[in-house]
Amino acid sequence: MRILQDFARSLRQLPRVSMVAVGVFVTLGVLAPYIAPHDPNAQDLLAAHAGISWEHWLGADHLGRDTLSRLIVSARTSLVGMCLVLLIALSVGITIGTIAGYKRGWVEEVLMRIVDVGLAMPSLIVALAVIGIFGTGYWNMIFALALAWWPGSARISRAVAVGVMNRPHIETLRVLGASPLRVYFHHLLPTTIGAVLVYATADAGAVALSIATLSFLGLGIQPPTPEWGQMLVDALPYLETVPMQVILPGLVLTAVVIGFNLLGESIALNRVPTPLSRRILASRRMLASNWTRAQQ
Amino acid sequence: MPEAQPLLRVENLVTRFKSVERSKWISAVDDVSITLAPGEMVGLVGESGCGKSTLGRTIVGLERPQSGRILLDGVDLSTLRGAELRRRRRAIQYVFQDPYASLNDRQTIGEAIAEALIIMGISDPAEQRRRIRTLLDQVGLPDALAERYPRELSGGQRQRVAIARSLAVEPRVLICDEPVSALDLSIRAQVMNLFLRLHKDLGVACLFIAHDLALVRQATSRTYVMYLGKIIEEATSAELYARPSHPYSKALLGSIPSADPRIEVTREPPEIFGDIPSPTNPPSGCRFRTRCPHAAEVCASAVPPLVALSPSHQAGCVLAEKFYAESAAQPLPHPAPAPRDIQTMHAR
Ligand SMILES: Nc1ncnc2c1ncn2[C@@H]1O[C@H](COP(=O)(O)OP(=O)(O)O)[C@@H](O)[C@H]1O
Ligand SMILES: [Mg+2]
Repeated sequence: MRILQDFARSLRQLPRVSMVAVGVFVTLGVLAPYIAPHDPNAQDLLAAHAGISWEHWLGADHLGRDTLSRLIVSARTSLVGMCLVLLIALSVGITIGTIAGYKRGWVEEVLMRIVDVGLAMPSLIVALAVIGIFGTGYWNMIFALALAWWPGSARISRAVAVGVMNRPHIETLRVLGASPLRVYFHHLLPTTIGAVLVYATADAGAVALSIATLSFLGLGIQPPTPEWGQMLVDALPYLETVPMQVILPGLVLTAVVIGFNLLGESIALNRVPTPLSRRILASRRMLASNWTRAQQ
Repeated sequence: MPEAQPLLRVENLVTRFKSVERSKWISAVDDVSITLAPGEMVGLVGESGCGKSTLGRTIVGLERPQSGRILLDGVDLSTLRGAELRRRRRAIQYVFQDPYASLNDRQTIGEAIAEALIIMGISDPAEQRRRIRTLLDQVGLPDALAERYPRELSGGQRQRVAIARSLAVEPRVLICDEPVSALDLSIRAQVMNLFLRLHKDLGVACLFIAHDLALVRQATSRTYVMYLGKIIEEATSAELYARPSHPYSKALLGSIPSADPRIEVTREPPEIFGDIPSPTNPPSGCRFRTRCPHAAEVCASAVPPLVALSPSHQAGCVLAEKFYAESAAQPLPHPAPAPRDIQTMHAR
């Protein structure tokens, strides 16, 4: 619960633009099937390459599929893919990172050298290699991207975990005789997850871009599932006659990536929590200070 | 005075740290032996950086000793492992210097104390609430504070909470590492009196680390003086302050200004000069010789052993017996104050 509270609190201090971009993306992703005015896969060859009209607000593609509906449903494809990749990558990364930060010593050395190897390779190349070996497919793409992304979150988790473990209140717990499991699960893990989730925001944009890139190359999401990268490929042959169909998915993708990046950046710059205003804090302290009984 | 079976006995403890310089070591605690009888209040004084905190941290298991033994009730703690070790070691609690960092700022005061109780094995919520109320009351805090977060409390209140939480696990030894030096002057006396009262009421033995010598003198019955990782003098507090027999103790005690202006005028300036040597390569022989006004050639050859000057007084100096005899001839430099409330000390 507290993780959510902290998360919500840090969201409140963020730039509007990126909040709007990310907010619209998430809303559309969640509600896509209910919002989309047309079936995104319904072909209507009579409407092929249609321009803006009352029927098709943003026109239609070469098979006469409604572009607005496809853009909206693509948001869901992208959102689900992104969440799955981050879920797997963060789970692995946080587990490895917190174990390294907790155990220190040779365990940390070994784990972090593995992470370094992972970090040394560009994530898209790792993903391409995995897909090259295991073939194309939705889950192959998800796992390939997760494999490419976990070292980054492991690195951050370890840094956060080492910081948490060095705080005196953890030492106090050890002196009280808290078991390693209690320290790990009740104190280290929740704090680390809270901090790393926030950092993961910046990664979300990059993952969305990678999904689109792989799909553009025909290695990610397969037709007929609507996806921005695929919409680009489909529209590319008609770039000169109907440029709008290329520009639209590109624009949407750019907005999402920039939105997440700005958000992540301002969160990272905003890590010092100011939950209570100075005045409120002072007045609460004043109130509480009267509670110490005078010593007899 | 240590009894036949001390509660806590530390034997020849050595704790080293890797230095920033490669392949060099800092011997923060070097061959230290101390004892603590049940219910005894013992002081540990010395300059900053001499290893007081490291000694305390090693005893509670926050640092790993290089060698030496820590015996609690005669049981060598290094022979224990896992849950058994944690259960036994819980009898020794540590009060940190900085009350601002020793509480988790995401836990309310009640949750923090409840966690200590859960570690103790008390999981019934009603029983926990009852104990939290008792513990807060013991340290002079109202029950209402249990719902508050640490950031809403003053330093003195946080230190009280930290003490209440250590008391939750029913310790028999409390290692207090300069527990009041981070607090405002006006609150120090209050928190100090709290320690004295708890010590008296609960019979907890206390190793009181401080560099405020006046405080230690009033509060403790026995005092260890530490210099550069070694204990260089040990005596009952009254005797130590009256007849310090190691040049370092003399200088250290000479640096306390006296409350009496007539004595203050005649007070000799401390005969200590220079800075504390680097702990990475301490001087050979007596570690104090580089700053000692009485240093002779013998001091460089071997570490002077602790000489027994009286049944309750030992000093590690070749001239200890001479200083001890000299001090008997002089009138006491600081007349021992009558045991009284510490508050008066700052009121003067
Ligand atoms: N974790 C550590 N790593 C390296 N050196 C340390 C560490 N902790 C303490 N020291 C060194 O050990 C010596 C004793 O420190 P400390 O026990 O904190 O002294 P005191 O509490 O008496 O001021 C100092 O020289 C200090 O620099
Ligand atoms: Mg210290």
